[in-house]
Amino acid sequence: MTTRRQFNKLATLGTLGLAAPTILSSKAFAADKPIKIGASVSLTGPLASTRAGEIGYELWRDDVNAAGGLLGRKVEFVIYDDQSSASNVPAIYSKLVDVDKVDVLISPYGANLSAPLMPFIKQRNLFMVGMFALAGNDRARSDKYFHACPWGPDSMLGWPRGFFDIAKSINAKRIAIINSDLEFSSSAAQGGNQIAKEYGMEVVMNQSYPPNTSDFSAILRNINNVAPDAVFVCSYPADSAAIIRGVKEIGINDSVQIFGGSMIGPQYGSLLGSLGEDLNGLVNITTFVPAPTLESPGIERFFERYTPIAIKEKLDPLGFYIPPFYYVAGQIIEAGIKGSQSVDTAKMAQYLHSHAIDTIVGKVAFNDIGDWTKRRTLMIQVQNVKGNDINQFREPGKQVILSPEELKSGNLITPYNAARKAS
Amino acid sequence: MKRNNVIFTLGAFLVLLAGFFAPSIVTNPFYFFAGYVVVQYIVIATGWNVLGGYAGYINFGAAAFFGSGVYLSAFLFNTFGVPLWIGIIAAAALGALLGLAMGYLTLQIQGVYFAIATLGLVIVLETIVHNLPGLGGARGMAVYGPAPPAWSGGPVQYVFFVILIIAVACVALARWIEHSWIGRGLRAVRASEDAAECSGVPTLKLKLVACSISGAMLAAAGAPYPFYTNFIEPVTAFSLLIGLNAIAMPLIGGTRSWAGPIIGAIVLASAQQIATVTISSELNILFVGVVLIAFVALAPNGLLGLAKRKSAGASK
Repeated sequence: MTTRRQFNKLATLGTLGLAAPTILSSKAFAADKPIKIGASVSLTGPLASTRAGEIGYELWRDDVNAAGGLLGRKVEFVIYDDQSSASNVPAIYSKLVDVDKVDVLISPYGANLSAPLMPFIKQRNLFMVGMFALAGNDRARSDKYFHACPWGPDSMLGWPRGFFDIAKSINAKRIAIINSDLEFSSSAAQGGNQIAKEYGMEVVMNQSYPPNTSDFSAILRNINNVAPDAVFVCSYPADSAAIIRGVKEIGINDSVQIFGGSMIGPQYGSLLGSLGEDLNGLVNITTFVPAPTLESPGIERFFERYTPIAIKEKLDPLGFYIPPFYYVAGQIIEAGIKGSQSVDTAKMAQYLHSHAIDTIVGKVAFNDIGDWTKRRTLMIQVQNVKGNDINQFREPGKQVILSPEELKSGNLITPYNAARKAS
Repeated sequence: MKRNNVIFTLGAFLVLLAGFFAPSIVTNPFYFFAGYVVVQYIVIATGWNVLGGYAGYINFGAAAFFGSGVYLSAFLFNTFGVPLWIGIIAAAALGALLGLAMGYLTLQIQGVYFAIATLGLVIVLETIVHNLPGLGGARGMAVYGPAPPAWSGGPVQYVFFVILIIAVACVALARWIEHSWIGRGLRAVRASEDAAECSGVPTLKLKLVACSISGAMLAAAGAPYPFYTNFIEPVTAFSLLIGLNAIAMPLIGGTRSWAGPIIGAIVLASAQQIATVTISSELNILFVGVVLIAFVALAPNGLLGLAKRKSAGASK
């Protein structure tokens, strides 16, 4: 038999039990909870090579937590695998926001996976750091979107501009443009065409090829026939390797002064190692290389810790192109929270729009749509590479920076044939 | 039969009613995002089953129809501001035409050759889209849909309700086909096309009807997709995974009945959705693969076949 006292106790405990989730999740108790950051990473699928970036997230999280967290709260990541498919992205990010209740978001890799999110973050007024999407926020124009990568403003044209600046500096007039028939390379080729027009250059050949093309002999012979001054190549990793090998087999016209520009692949350790000295002379875009002009204690410490983890997990052992910027994504969030002393996304965004922040890749300031105010993509030339030892790329002088001017670490060797032989 | 029809109609009405009122009961949008994918696959699996299950013609090209529906509705909306409803009807019409063409072109070839020809259709259409700047080419196309109606509760709730209506319509049509003279004729085609032809079954006509209806359903499944993702690009719209799921789902559920694709789609698509946000690694894909192999090995006639076998065993 239950007495009235027992019943009252039970009723009180029951009510407290039911109310506990609401009380504990209220603002007064939020201070003890970790700050949650939600993201998707392409752990599987065609973009799985970008998963090395996750190490960047983990290193940043560990650093912040070791220093006592943000505003006294630990930082925690909630990460899902988007399988490199845009169709998975809406449900994953809804799960992050509506079920996992993350405080801020980091976008998936690249434009195609990020694009489905843009109306979502705009409608829901969410804070997101963008990863590697060219012109990611140009249409949605969210004021709570900040890019972690150095594309700079007007990135559709900014991406190819470095190559054409160099072409202009050596008085190249006749340009050949070849591109893979895929999203990123088509955009780059289109940008290249516009800049060539702007610089008064003549596009003497403009050819796209289907993805999965493995034999470039016909295209290379066509290039040799038109004898251009510069060849702007917009390719993906497999085609990049096939093109470099094709040049080695077929040769290239002596008229070609510079070759490359927008080849994805020779930024990754796997291709740098496998192509080795065949890459000599290539002028190409990247985001980071070991060079005296880019040295900082932050980046050195990053690679000291990144390399052993990447080797153990069989990921990109060099990790120059992507991983540092995943760390930068964390630093943007950190700066926003610390600077505004709040996890209120409006205050964070306001702070980031009005202050330049320090990152391991240098000082960064954002414009009104979260792009870096100044483009900081690097145009490098591969020089002095011998054999296929991947570790030689860790030394300065193997990928010398030609552009931007303030980071220049070496001089351009021309023509391309001379640069290919110079080692 | 009449009683069954009443029960089915009542059930369909209840499903639509539940879909209409769901936003006021389920406030978390995530369930609509995940639910959309599941219901979309019910339409795809049902559409595939009309040709693949009833007539026994394995179509690997479901993605071709789906992708053409995706692109047509996105193009009509972006260029002419055509509302989604008209986009769905237009997509279904295009799918039916494509199905008819595929029927004429490939129904003379059977078995594995037919399957390969349908696979070719995906590659042809994807290549065409890649090379049409008006459709965004390889760069894809952003589709910023109009504000959803006030009663719908939000953009994702709205597209969920739309795909639910398409699903109910497709399942009702598939069920009607199954029980009508068309279904009986298609079953005869599946059993032995030559024997059916000799017995006076108009096989070509039936196959063309099945191809068109199947194509229309698959394309209609794609029409609301641009409003779900707000961005389309050819690799995802013509993904072979769609074709693979379109086959796997009816196989898991059972290809002989209209209910099989529904069960298969709910089981497999839910498993995929759950695995994406729980296992979240390479194991996710392995898990789905293992589930698929297990079903094919242990229940070759799908879950419905397994249930029938069990009940037949129990009654002995």
